[in-house]
Amino acid sequence: MEDVKAYIESGILELYVLGDISAEEKLQVETMASKHPEVKAELDAIESSMERYAELNEVEPAPALRERVLNSLVTNLGDDRIFRDKPASAREEKVVQLVQQKSNNFYKYAFAACLALLVVSVAALVTIYNKYQSANGQLVTLQLQNQKFANTVNLLDGQLSVFRDPSFKMIRLNGTSKTPKSELMIGWSPNRKKLIIDMGRSRMPLTDETHSYQLWAIVGGKPVDLGVFEANEQNADALKEMKAVDSAEAFAVTLEPRGGSPIPTMDNMMVVGNTK
Amino acid sequence: MSPKRKISLSEEELIHALRRREKVAAEALYDMYSASLYGVIVRIVNDDIAAEDILQETFLKIWNSFSAYSADKGRLFTWMVNIARNLSIDKLRSKDFKNQSKNRELENNVGLIDERENTVYKPELLGIKELVETLKPEQKSILDLVYFKGYTHVEAAEQLGVPLGTIKTRLRMAIQQLRKSFN
Repeated sequence: MEDVKAYIESGILELYVLGDISAEEKLQVETMASKHPEVKAELDAIESSMERYAELNEVEPAPALRERVLNSLVTNLGDDRIFRDKPASAREEKVVQLVQQKSNNFYKYAFAACLALLVVSVAALVTIYNKYQSANGQLVTLQLQNQKFANTVNLLDGQLSVFRDPSFKMIRLNGTSKTPKSELMIGWSPNRKKLIIDMGRSRMPLTDETHSYQLWAIVGGKPVDLGVFEANEQNADALKEMKAVDSAEAFAVTLEPRGGSPIPTMDNMMVVGNTK
Repeated sequence: MSPKRKISLSEEELIHALRRREKVAAEALYDMYSASLYGVIVRIVNDDIAAEDILQETFLKIWNSFSAYSADKGRLFTWMVNIARNLSIDKLRSKDFKNQSKNRELENNVGLIDERENTVYKPELLGIKELVETLKPEQKSILDLVYFKGYTHVEAAEQLGVPLGTIKTRLRMAIQQLRKSFN
């Protein structure tokens, strides 16, 4: 067993005892010691002599240190066996209480957590509901606006179709002595048999609830009814389509009771204009 | 000699009692080993107050991590003294301790402590002390450097300016010499 002898004499066992050795070497020494009794015996001998060398060089610490150290050990006793003489039942009772308290605490915290979650959820719900309401309101507003734009586009489209059409003839009806400031623009297309009133370019006194205007065409000296219309805030810009005629010498508007009259009330003629 | 009220147990009994964390074990542990451990600690740190703290720390660590000790791996004292030495060396190398003892001469304090402190004479050790004195100076210096000054053998080789192999051999020879003295 030359190897073992050489191993012993290498001095590594001394370093092992002195703790001056790497973890790998430490493991190696321990393996060798468990395999070879002579290594183990050598280690024992080294340890004993180092222990005795320490004894030889011992220094008595201050007497007061004994109490200090022992007290620190005793207060450090986790499972304090110093209180062993307590009745076992008392100890058990205490343990049970502790466990109970722990589970109580768990449910307390769980309940508190649930409650907190509920409060947060409700707050979130209220916030989201408010946002939903305001979004809904905005949507309605936008839809209304959209409707309004669509109406405007339709209106303008209609106007464009009239104004772009060369067959339409624009005729201005001027105020009579009764209402000199009034004026009404009509567009007439004999070919297409269409007649419209352009309220946007007209200035007529507003009609009340009991009266309306009636448009007449003068054909061969006789008045022909072309329908009634109102002048109010709502239709201030509108194009109003009336009944059409093939030919006419003149157009006139009279103020009639609401719904119109079979023959014009000549006294109430508001505007009149010739076609030529 | 003052009358002894100190508790002493066999190593086996002590280990058993320590495992069961009995109070008597703590007392026996202190009474049996405090002086040996303190001798090592105070030589390393060379400061009474620090040494007392470290001794306390050492016992705390022994007490709290006793489950880590296994009798298969060696003697109880070897395990304990290595804890004490490691704590002492940590302290010695810690920044605040270095600052604190800046002006103190750290070298060659082994003899100083022996002069100052070594007032304990054990009749069973009388004569052996003289035998230990038969250690060759280079053997004693390497042993004390490593054992009482907290040097690693690598540091000791640098300090003494000799090859690592020589250090290991001298260390072994020194311990062999001790064994002869004790037998």
